[in-house]
Amino acid sequence: MLIADVSADATLQRCAFRRIVSTRVYLLAVVIFAVALSALAFDWAHRTKIALGGAAAMVVIGVLDQEQAIEAIDWPTLGLLAGMMVIVALTEPTGVFTYVALKATQISRGNPVALVFLLAVMTGVLSAFLDNLTSILLVVPITLLIADILRIPPIPLVLVQVLASNIGGTATLIGDPPNILIGSRRPELSFMDFIVNLAPVATFTLLVVSALLAFVYRSRLRPAPERARQIESLDPTRDLREAKKVKRTLAVLLGTIVAFFLHGLLHIEPSVVALVGATVMLFVAADDVEDALGRVEWSTLLFFLGLFVMVGGLVEQGVVTDVAEWLTDLTDGSRTAEGMVILWGSAAGSAMVDNIPFTTAMLPVVESIQGEEFDDGLWWALALGACFGGNATLIAAAANVAATGILERTGNRVSFFQFLVIGLPITIVSLLIATAYLLLFQL
Amino acid sequence: MALSDLDLPDASVLETASLAEGVAELFAARVPGLAVIDASDRVLGVLSERDVLRAVFPGYLAEIRHTAFLPDEASPLEELAVRARDRPVRDFMRPSELLRVQDSQIHAAERLMHSGEDALPVVDGDRFVGMLSVAALCHARLDRPPGA
Repeated sequence: MLIADVSADATLQRCAFRRIVSTRVYLLAVVIFAVALSALAFDWAHRTKIALGGAAAMVVIGVLDQEQAIEAIDWPTLGLLAGMMVIVALTEPTGVFTYVALKATQISRGNPVALVFLLAVMTGVLSAFLDNLTSILLVVPITLLIADILRIPPIPLVLVQVLASNIGGTATLIGDPPNILIGSRRPELSFMDFIVNLAPVATFTLLVVSALLAFVYRSRLRPAPERARQIESLDPTRDLREAKKVKRTLAVLLGTIVAFFLHGLLHIEPSVVALVGATVMLFVAADDVEDALGRVEWSTLLFFLGLFVMVGGLVEQGVVTDVAEWLTDLTDGSRTAEGMVILWGSAAGSAMVDNIPFTTAMLPVVESIQGEEFDDGLWWALALGACFGGNATLIAAAANVAATGILERTGNRVSFFQFLVIGLPITIVSLLIATAYLLLFQL
Repeated sequence: MALSDLDLPDASVLETASLAEGVAELFAARVPGLAVIDASDRVLGVLSERDVLRAVFPGYLAEIRHTAFLPDEASPLEELAVRARDRPVRDFMRPSELLRVQDSQIHAAERLMHSGEDALPVVDGDRFVGMLSVAALCHARLDRPPGA
């Protein structure tokens, strides 16, 4: 009897010890993730260092083991991003992006409303098919040149493009990092599903937002007539004529975009499309493979890798399940309410900590909320919330940080507040449109 | 053979000198970079031809590859040059690594390769001695008799 009591006590003590240890690890996982998010939001260090540091801390502390860490990495997302980076890097030397931006400016003939609409639509469309961060890196320097020639302030023009890139990127699977993350996580959602379900609302939102921005900036962006005439006299085809391999390079780019449209029919993953496109591009357009691969933003890929491991840690510890259960309780299981909470919550979260880490954390939460039965409406709510929310603050999307970085390097600093004043109202308008769309057609 | 054996040009400019004075010195000294020094001859940084290029022409040109269509009169180049002309060179200099007079030429060649600079300041203690350019180093090497 005595021996049995001692044995039972020891078992109870072991169970209690395990509970304490597991509670501590659970809390550590939450703390590491929260600190990493704060560090990203306040720009305490380079984002890749933060993400890899957080991931390393979780593995070392034992939040998740090595095998679980490797399993948590979303390789298709990394493949898609790397492939698109190579494709765009090798397309850029053709001068086609300079041509398109200059042509759009010439068509506006010095009319500020037309200029805002054309630059917004051009950036939106480029973002949809190349991804918004890349598009911004391509078009902002050209926009600075255009503003210089027209003698108009560059900041409003660049802000128009940043806001348009985040909205335009919402339209496709490859347009914005949150969509790339969603598309890679849920293979049920094809490139065409994104186009059919998100492109119409993104297009409508882009037009409404362009109209608002044109109204706000109409007086500041009016060039002197002689400056408008000067830009009309430039020949944007000159660089295009002088560049090498233009036709071949553009053929591969267009072929890759067509393959994205058909990937569902062909049963090929988007990441495979991007990587095959990049490989063909290397054969067709790269004289120096080392140089071409050098343009892949390895730090961005490692940033994603670190995030995947950190979120994997939250999943392993059950944090994600707890958040999902809390949200389900909050919404009383109502699908409409869940969709709205995901939409507005993702936008708010993205505004505070950047939409890439926020979406990465939300993927398993949405999976948990939807349960066994696949529900695309909730995924569209996440995509719209995270992508549109990317416009709210300067740190909400990578494209915002990149564009304002280029502006600052050229002596045009944009403060956090200056961005907020225009970005937040635009985000609220965009989310109201998204709310109406989801309620009418998805939820 | 140490750097002290070379005839190094005193290509330097005071930190308070204007950009226009710095460019004039750069042009006259025929080296791709100047040492920016303080009143005690201490090196504060370097001002290279590329730094000057970025100061006098729009910064966004470094991010665009295609400007053949653009005539000079299209962009307000003169305004930019006027704004930069009288600013002190310290606004445009960059930090630089330093070579020491006792360093070997092979070490200097290795540092020039890895730093990406076309010229580096050479110091004796913390006092500026002269600028070592790639051309000067290679010229000295090629002029040296075999086996010397």
